[in-house]
Amino acid sequence: MNSNNTTWRSPLVILTVGCVILTLSMGVRHTAGLFLQPMTADNGWTRETFSFAFALQNLIWGLGSPFAGALADRFGAGRTLLVAAAFYVLGLVFMSVSPTPLSLDLSAGLLIGIGLSGTTFPVIMGVIGRHTTPERRSLALGIASAGGSFGQFAVLPIGQMMISTYGWQSALVLLACGVGLIAPLAYAMADGHKPSAGAGQSVVEALHEASRERSFHYLFWGYFVCGFQTAFIMLHLPSYLVDAGMSANIGMTAVALIGLFNIFGSFYFGWAGGRSSKKNLLVWIYGLRAVAILIFMLIPLSTVTAWIFAAVIGILWLATVPLTNGLIAQIFGLRYMSMLTGVVFLGHQLGSFLGAWLGGRIFDETGSYSLAWTISIGLSILAAICSWPVNEKPLARLSPAT
Amino acid sequence: MKPNWRWFLGGVGVALLVLLLALIFAAYQMPELLIDWANLSYCG
Repeated sequence: MNSNNTTWRSPLVILTVGCVILTLSMGVRHTAGLFLQPMTADNGWTRETFSFAFALQNLIWGLGSPFAGALADRFGAGRTLLVAAAFYVLGLVFMSVSPTPLSLDLSAGLLIGIGLSGTTFPVIMGVIGRHTTPERRSLALGIASAGGSFGQFAVLPIGQMMISTYGWQSALVLLACGVGLIAPLAYAMADGHKPSAGAGQSVVEALHEASRERSFHYLFWGYFVCGFQTAFIMLHLPSYLVDAGMSANIGMTAVALIGLFNIFGSFYFGWAGGRSSKKNLLVWIYGLRAVAILIFMLIPLSTVTAWIFAAVIGILWLATVPLTNGLIAQIFGLRYMSMLTGVVFLGHQLGSFLGAWLGGRIFDETGSYSLAWTISIGLSILAAICSWPVNEKPLARLSPAT
Repeated sequence: MKPNWRWFLGGVGVALLVLLLALIFAAYQMPELLIDWANLSYCG
């Protein structure tokens, strides 16, 4: 296996394939909401039925990530990607013929949730992290994050075109075909590589070690805030703008701007993380998010301010991903990187669930998003404070090299 | 590969990428997407 690695599984190949897989997995996931209207109309379901299945998916995605990461660390990323892609494809196909709410929960919630756990950041970042030098790792993780960002940006309109042209059931099958491409691509990620650092350490020992490190907890809760803010803003910003009297077109352009600038932000902060302190960059990202939201709240709302806010938030959107994943690799080493990044990603998903749900709940209770924006600012400040004391030094057992 | 060609091909790649991003950005203005966007607020 190693001889093969030297011939064609170069870091460039691993990075390119990783980007394509993230584009497919994150992009197809991002189209989910487009199916609400046609599926609920055709099946006679309520919106709550549909929402519950996708809330379940978010939770299973988060809960499954540490396990998918651990499987990738133990049995290899290739096998994990292959199995997860199969779950993802089955989930999409089963979703296209789901006749009842329970079958929707099982397909869109359970199967796709498991599929996402094994085809997104924790597994991919682990392989990319192993195949890059410490100096270039952050940039590589940034490029991979940009791949996921590109998928979110690009696949949404493609999904809508598929629904408009072929109908929602065929669109789901076509998207399943797209996700199916992950299976052959997984072969390129089957590096069979096990770094020597941390050899002898078990999964439980690695988890125990991480749980004793305060930096790990800081990263977990920082990611929780990231998830809270991104879910809240993505789901509720368009409604917020429409409530303020703006057209849906302006809200949609804001969403497109977030997606577009997200690509540049992921790349930039990945590059910057290789040149300066990652935890300081996290402090800046969370701090700037707080400042951006505060200014957005204080100045009069207009089309221009909404678009500028969307662009600024877009730059800061997934910028936390390469930095947080890079810090995990830097502090704890590469052997259990997938599993440990899966654990902090669970924090992200819990935050996402809360941000999406609480935003709606607060609006229903108070009739405005003001409190939710204020909570978002407060959490951002807390995340910045949490990121500051993160100790970036590798653990003693990893010295002299990570 | 000569440096001149490398720069040229790199420039072409960047230009194509910018064009692709611009096309995707424009695709967000599709009327169908505007209507269905409201759906996203229900499921994340």
